[in-house]
Amino acid sequence: MNGANALAPAAAAADADVAAPGPRGRMPLGALRRRQLAALFWGWLALVGLVCLFLGTFVIAFLASLKEDPLESPFRFVFPQIQPSAWFAAADLGAQAGGGAFWGGFGPGADLLFSATWAVPPGETLETPVVEVPRRVPGSSIARALTTDYASDHAAVEVVAVEETTVTGPDGALWPAARHTWRITHAGGGPLVDRLPFTATVPRGQVLIDADLPVSAMERRGRTASWSNLAPGALGLVFDNYRRVWNETVDISSGERLFPWWLLNSFLIAAGRVAMIVALASLAGYALARLRFGGAGAVFAAVIFSMAIPPQVTFVSNYLVIRDLGLLNTPWGVIVVFTFSAHVLLMKQFFEGFPREIEEAAIADGASHWQVFRHVVLPNARPALVTNAIIAFQAAWNDFFWPFVLLSSPPSSLTVQVGLLSLRQQGAGGESDWGLVLAGAFISVVPVVIVFLIFQRRIVDNQLSEGIK
Amino acid sequence: MIDLPIRLLAGGFAALSAAVPATAETVRIAGFGGQDAAVVNGLITEAVGDRIAEAGIEVVYEPIEGDFSQFILNALSAGTAADLFYVDIFWADAVFRSDQAAPIADQSVADALLPNLAAAFTRDGTLLGIPKDFNSLNVNYNVDVFEEAGVDVPDADDTWAEFEEKLVAVSDALDGEVAGLCLVPDYARFGPFALATGWEPFDADGRTVLDEDFRRAFAFYTGMADSGAGVVAADVGEGWMGGCMSSEKAAVALEGGWMIAHLRDAAPSMVWNSTLMPRDPETGDRGNLIFTVAWAVNPASEVQDAAQELAAILTSPEAQQWVLEEGLAIPSRADLADNEWLQGDDVAQVASRNAFQGTGDGQVMPYEFGEYGGAWMEPINSALNAVLLGERDVDAALADAQAALDRLTGHDG
Repeated sequence: MNGANALAPAAAAADADVAAPGPRGRMPLGALRRRQLAALFWGWLALVGLVCLFLGTFVIAFLASLKEDPLESPFRFVFPQIQPSAWFAAADLGAQAGGGAFWGGFGPGADLLFSATWAVPPGETLETPVVEVPRRVPGSSIARALTTDYASDHAAVEVVAVEETTVTGPDGALWPAARHTWRITHAGGGPLVDRLPFTATVPRGQVLIDADLPVSAMERRGRTASWSNLAPGALGLVFDNYRRVWNETVDISSGERLFPWWLLNSFLIAAGRVAMIVALASLAGYALARLRFGGAGAVFAAVIFSMAIPPQVTFVSNYLVIRDLGLLNTPWGVIVVFTFSAHVLLMKQFFEGFPREIEEAAIADGASHWQVFRHVVLPNARPALVTNAIIAFQAAWNDFFWPFVLLSSPPSSLTVQVGLLSLRQQGAGGESDWGLVLAGAFISVVPVVIVFLIFQRRIVDNQLSEGIK
Repeated sequence: MIDLPIRLLAGGFAALSAAVPATAETVRIAGFGGQDAAVVNGLITEAVGDRIAEAGIEVVYEPIEGDFSQFILNALSAGTAADLFYVDIFWADAVFRSDQAAPIADQSVADALLPNLAAAFTRDGTLLGIPKDFNSLNVNYNVDVFEEAGVDVPDADDTWAEFEEKLVAVSDALDGEVAGLCLVPDYARFGPFALATGWEPFDADGRTVLDEDFRRAFAFYTGMADSGAGVVAADVGEGWMGGCMSSEKAAVALEGGWMIAHLRDAAPSMVWNSTLMPRDPETGDRGNLIFTVAWAVNPASEVQDAAQELAAILTSPEAQQWVLEEGLAIPSRADLADNEWLQGDDVAQVASRNAFQGTGDGQVMPYEFGEYGGAWMEPINSALNAVLLGERDVDAALADAQAALDRLTGHDG
């Protein structure tokens, strides 16, 4: 009680000090709190800004990967691939066309009704659109070589209804309009074709008002409304670029799909590198941290120095060694080319922080250095090992340089990062097909994210505190 | 007990061995990835597959993604290059100067090729690569845009002035919604205008002289931005002339046969056509550049004869006819100019016909600059850029370019 009483005047004096500005201009408590809140707010805002900056580019790239034209300018945040109304329309049209509501397609038995409305300014005449299921030969030779069936060879189009109406035009006046409905049928047998392209051409000045499925592009200066696929199915509409990555990465000579091979190769190479790096880095790190041997300082200096050497410097010699070992175009060539100095450093630092008492207790019980390392230290080093493994996996997965140099043939031997380069070149005329590139890039990210999500808790899971109790 | 597995294994190996002819020689061939993989695959399986099999050759194609020139030059240095490989005229000199291409065994094949193409891969009278296909520049135009503007489409008789007049008329009639042409600061597009004047990239001393003829072409090309005939491609968010045309930002694109595939994907409904490059009003000639790729044989190949034979098969008349009729590329044999397919009216046929005609009409030179490679174009491209951006006038920009070229070619002393 006495103590509390003794403190009370001091606290009151302190309150008085901050409440009224002193001779050195102390800030009132309210103002101080406001300043603290303001600092907190700005800090929070800066963090939100950084998150938006990094995550925002990721989100925009993902949205672009869904678009038919990823490079469209200006960038639209609302487009058919993310509109539920378009999903339902695409599912309905896909089902009508005989390809199913999910992935669509145009197959035998298709009986599809499609409507669209055009309008003209008052006083002008509405013309009937000239419609066609065009033969869309892909420009890219890869897609062209793979495309053997065309919807145009099987489709029959007929007008089933024309409903005249009026709509409010851009000038606010009522414009005469007509809603046309066509029936598209699949004549006879034949294969299920992925795409049902459709075009409707009208004279200039006649404006497309709406359609059952959002138009893919307006061509010929607004005259031709062009749908790249009238029966996409819901998933086919949203993930068309992703489906193309799967379907158009094919080894022309063998006919096998390449993307699964690229993912598998990347995974095996990353796993191989992780195993070697973790094994060697933990052994070297423990030796440098605990064992006393001649030249240990020099070895450590060499490890540090080697971190400053970019891999390109040793590129030629490494390449020639791998060539002479006959490891070109094999995953082993890429697995054995790695640098692990940073990992050794990480493990050395971890082992140096490991309580010596535990090791000494094991040695007092008669354990050898190897037994101490294997049965005492290593089980407790799991967080460092997992951290090293994640970093090594990420670096190996994202490695472009060595796979690009060492792997060239056959196409199924590439890693996913090098394979993505071939997507870049598949655009007709040699320019990039960014839809494919973006979709492929996002698929390649997925395994790294999964690995990180599975193992991230292990990084902070440390049992050392329990060990020294 | 262990006899049975061993016998089965031996039987399996025997069966595998029997699948490949005992005399078959494996020839590794390397080329571009992407579209070329489909073209080469079609050639070796469909067009000339039987001939290759008869020759006892097994082909392994290695399509290379990324920068092929870097890959093949590295591979040649390391001794790991394929037996037969692509050589692009743009960097062929680096391969030829270092003796990394064996002379073609049948030198007489040069007589069957378009003369400009054969000359591009000939050094000291020896053919070092068999050109497999080529491209040159055309005037590609959007028919709808010209019709809407009420302007006559470009034609083969146009002079520069008439060509420019049509482009200005299109732009004016459509209130600038569509430019006549997108201009790019690139010798690969400007070059034909310079060549049409009779100017040559190198004089007898190996010096590049940006003379009055060059200046006239340069002023015309860059002047199209001021006259309203063209806009700078970057100003309308495009990187090349073809992109401007497919997005309907420009009525015309000076591009090669690659526009056929590009427009199929980017503007499949576009009604378009092509014609020859316009003529210089003073000389009455047109100019053009040839973009071409050849098959070259690796002199270090252990299957030299088979590689030579395969090169001949892949560029044989039937192979080239297949390439042409599939619309995949424009083949290099001169007699294919009379091919029936080329006489058609389809845009792809017209464009291919123009390319054939373009190689022998006026001053046509390969797109290559000897030992200087792409560095030779840099001063000219910088000058084009400076003038198109309004940073320099024509004379000042050309003076800078001349000085830079003199330094490059060792004539600055």
